[in-house]
Amino acid sequence: MLTWLIALPVIGAAIVALVPGRLKELHLPLGVALAVLPLALAGYVFWVFEPIAEYQFVQEAVWYEPWGISWSLGIDGVSMPMVLLTAILVPIALAASTSITRRTKEFVVYTLLLEAGMIGVFLALDLFLFFVFFEAILIPMYFIIGIWGSDRRIYAAMKFFIFTAFGSALLLAGIIALAVTYADQFGSASFALSDLMNVQLSTSAERWLFVAFALAFAIKVPLFPVHTWLPDAHTEAPTAGSVLLAAVLLKLGTYGLLRFNLSLFPEASVDAAWIMGTLAVIGIIYGAVVAIVQPDLKRLIAYSSVSHLGFIVLGTFALTSGSLQGAVIQNVNHGLVTGALFLLVGMIYERRHTKQISEFGGLQKVMPVFAGFFLFMIFASIGLPGLNGFVGEFLILVGSYSTLPALAIVAAIGVVLAAIYMLWAYERVFTGVPDKEENIALSDLSIREISLLAPLAILVLVIGLYPNVLLDKIAPSTEALLDHIEEQTEFVIPEPGRLGDVLVAGGDHE
Amino acid sequence: MIEITTPEVSWIAILPELVLALGAVGVLLVEVQWKPATRVLGAISAITLVIAIFFTFLQWAQAGDALEVGGLDELVAFSGMIVMDGFAVFGRFVLLVMAGLGLLAGWRLVERLNRRGAEAIALVLLATTGFSIMVASNNLVMMFLGLEIGSISLYILAGLTEEKTKADEAAMKYFLLGSFASAIFIYGVALLYAGTGQLEILAIRQFFTEFIVTRPAVILIGLALIIVGLGFKVSAAPFHSWAPDVYQGAPSGVVGYMAAMAKIAGFLAMARILLTAVPQLDDSWLPVIAGISALSMLVGSTIALVQSDVRRLLAYSGVAHAGFILTGIVGGATTGMLFYVTVYAIQLIGAFAVVAVVSGPSSSGSSIDEYRGLARRSPALGAAFAVLLLGMAGLPLTSGFVAKFGVFSEAWANGYGWLVIVALLASVISFAFYLRVIVAMYMDETEEEGIVVSLAARWVLTIAVAGTVLAGILPAPLIDLAADAFPL
Repeated sequence: MLTWLIALPVIGAAIVALVPGRLKELHLPLGVALAVLPLALAGYVFWVFEPIAEYQFVQEAVWYEPWGISWSLGIDGVSMPMVLLTAILVPIALAASTSITRRTKEFVVYTLLLEAGMIGVFLALDLFLFFVFFEAILIPMYFIIGIWGSDRRIYAAMKFFIFTAFGSALLLAGIIALAVTYADQFGSASFALSDLMNVQLSTSAERWLFVAFALAFAIKVPLFPVHTWLPDAHTEAPTAGSVLLAAVLLKLGTYGLLRFNLSLFPEASVDAAWIMGTLAVIGIIYGAVVAIVQPDLKRLIAYSSVSHLGFIVLGTFALTSGSLQGAVIQNVNHGLVTGALFLLVGMIYERRHTKQISEFGGLQKVMPVFAGFFLFMIFASIGLPGLNGFVGEFLILVGSYSTLPALAIVAAIGVVLAAIYMLWAYERVFTGVPDKEENIALSDLSIREISLLAPLAILVLVIGLYPNVLLDKIAPSTEALLDHIEEQTEFVIPEPGRLGDVLVAGGDHE
Repeated sequence: MIEITTPEVSWIAILPELVLALGAVGVLLVEVQWKPATRVLGAISAITLVIAIFFTFLQWAQAGDALEVGGLDELVAFSGMIVMDGFAVFGRFVLLVMAGLGLLAGWRLVERLNRRGAEAIALVLLATTGFSIMVASNNLVMMFLGLEIGSISLYILAGLTEEKTKADEAAMKYFLLGSFASAIFIYGVALLYAGTGQLEILAIRQFFTEFIVTRPAVILIGLALIIVGLGFKVSAAPFHSWAPDVYQGAPSGVVGYMAAMAKIAGFLAMARILLTAVPQLDDSWLPVIAGISALSMLVGSTIALVQSDVRRLLAYSGVAHAGFILTGIVGGATTGMLFYVTVYAIQLIGAFAVVAVVSGPSSSGSSIDEYRGLARRSPALGAAFAVLLLGMAGLPLTSGFVAKFGVFSEAWANGYGWLVIVALLASVISFAFYLRVIVAMYMDETEEEGIVVSLAARWVLTIAVAGTVLAGILPAPLIDLAADAFPL
């Protein structure tokens, strides 16, 4: 079944590719329709997903025996939300791409291939397979930025590709080293995550490998100071590209840190927790401060991503029940909220062909629905209680406080800064009197646009009010991860750190 | 009465070469006698190659049988001149397939050459004969003969155009530097002989297992010269300076074939000498090969960054690839290297087939500007080139990734982790220039017309792209074959 989650978008891409080029109007609707199929399947997986620690729906087929590589897929509480998020966002991003009139067919094909790759990354339980998907994603994304981006698209696409390829190179070196060590110790080759977790590594080897993996994922996240590709790529990419980049591609980094660094190198993770946490907090503050002064809406949201993802990394390395759950659920939250914000910016860009904050003003009067959605998403992003951002950030901050108290306190400043840059941007764009002629004539959102944003808004509200819909399914997996770390190291999570000691689900529940 | 013992002849060991040589002569004779249409000559060469490939299958079966029953001696034929192990047979098979693809890719050149087309076909077959002998020789002098037959044919091919162009310069340059390298190689052979008293590769290995050489200076110098000579043929840095000029000047119809052949034969010969004849000396040569490998990767991929001509770019990427392939030899195994050489040869011929289509089969020079908007003008051609370039860059789901993964794992397991890290960084650098071509094809607009792709070129590209993708997704059969094809 999981194979179908990957195969459906690929088949969809093939179908779209076979539609003749002269039926231009057909490509996009067909692409959206085909992207709904994996969503339906992902929804089914979510429905029957059991809240247990083990991988579910595991599929395994030997790929090449002597090398120990296999097509092995599985889903657990950490990956399930990400798969669902991907499946939800791709049809929305596609449907929002009506402004792409040039080479539509290729665009739809690349987007569907991108979806297959992203889902593959989250499902892969074999490091070789994981790497294949991890790297294969670069190609469609590179084309999406490079062909349909704005003015400096080629520069941005190249920068994106080289930065991430550099990270991948280190990751591949790490994977090879790990697999070679495994083959030495166990006499047979394997790339399976469950096998490689048994490798006995010397402290220095473990640290080196941790660095290799962490750097690769840190570039993807992107963690300070390797974040410089992100604002360029986000700003230049077309709307759908920005949405998927922010909502899903960045999560490959946080997902990788959680899935691979913590479980493969527990000792080094514990030792490096404060370093990663410090970098994350620098990212939180730095991203927020830089976001305040951005004159361009898209760049502002891009830097806010740097800040928000800092929270996720902090939560990952704080190593408590609350912080890990918070990190996983914040992955989803940030995806929904930032995805929606990029969609909104895309919609205003289609109308005004500018993203400069100074060009706007008083839009609230002209486009009330648009302003409403924007404000709603901004509140979610800031972490207003009752909306999803609050759940994630609260869990992360509370969870981190017991292991990394100083960092948690500094990170909390980031929440305040987020309110500053977001609300200030809102004030400049939406409040006041519309004084520019171009702005007065703007039309409000169409039914189509509202129908794209509404599902995201509903999810934001649902997760905000009843986070257990996800947390119940996430918790067993993160608890198992913590058990594994406690087993492998002398690290004991201080009280209150484990589930039950902490108020789960910030205040409005239990 | 003096008794003369004739050496025992085992014809099957050289049947493919015999067929090739006969085919080459046949093409020339038929041309002289009947002056037929070029397609007749094409048919003759195709039949020749098919028969030769068929014989490699027979050889493969026989080599496999011999391994099973343990009759390894049977595989050494002609008093130790030729060896018919899996390594040789695999190499031959790859060479023959590449010759077929190379002829298809260069077919428009052959047609344009009119009456001299027969020469081109005969030279391709002769070069294949030579390189095929080279990979199958168990004797260093025999190897030199094969190398020369192959190389001299290539020198002429490099200058084979209908009009006087840069091709003459390229051919001359290739000839002068190439023969210099051959001389270095044979000098190395002489020194190795002086040090060990043996010319046969298996006998040299025997020598090292029986004796401990206390003063190996002569042997090491000989070995160094051999490495230099072969390093030149495969265009490894710092012996690569000829490659960009020759690749740029020679008619584009044959460049891919020339480059692929020299690389395959050169690497196989190098692997056979280093891994079969002198594995005991690996303390001495491993660091040298690792150094050449690292240098090639870094020099190749950085200089390629600033090239504005696609052929020079491919030449420098070839230097980088020489470095990557050498990591396989550093890994001390032949499986990864054989796989890499095979898939790279296919990509190379495919890529130059695209160059031949875009810039014309005999032209010299192919500026990157000619590729602007190619994806719009000729979507299939652009897509094929993109797949081949991504394959060379080594992105997953292409054969290039599996190949790199294979050789890097071997090198890492053999204790050369630093080389793998250098190689991975060089790969990242190399993405930049492969992507430049793709940017030109996909992200630049143009008003120019589409390009007509000949049927032969379509075949080559279909095979090359299919091979690149298939070997990337399902590499198992080819890796298994390569793993069975170890040298004796």
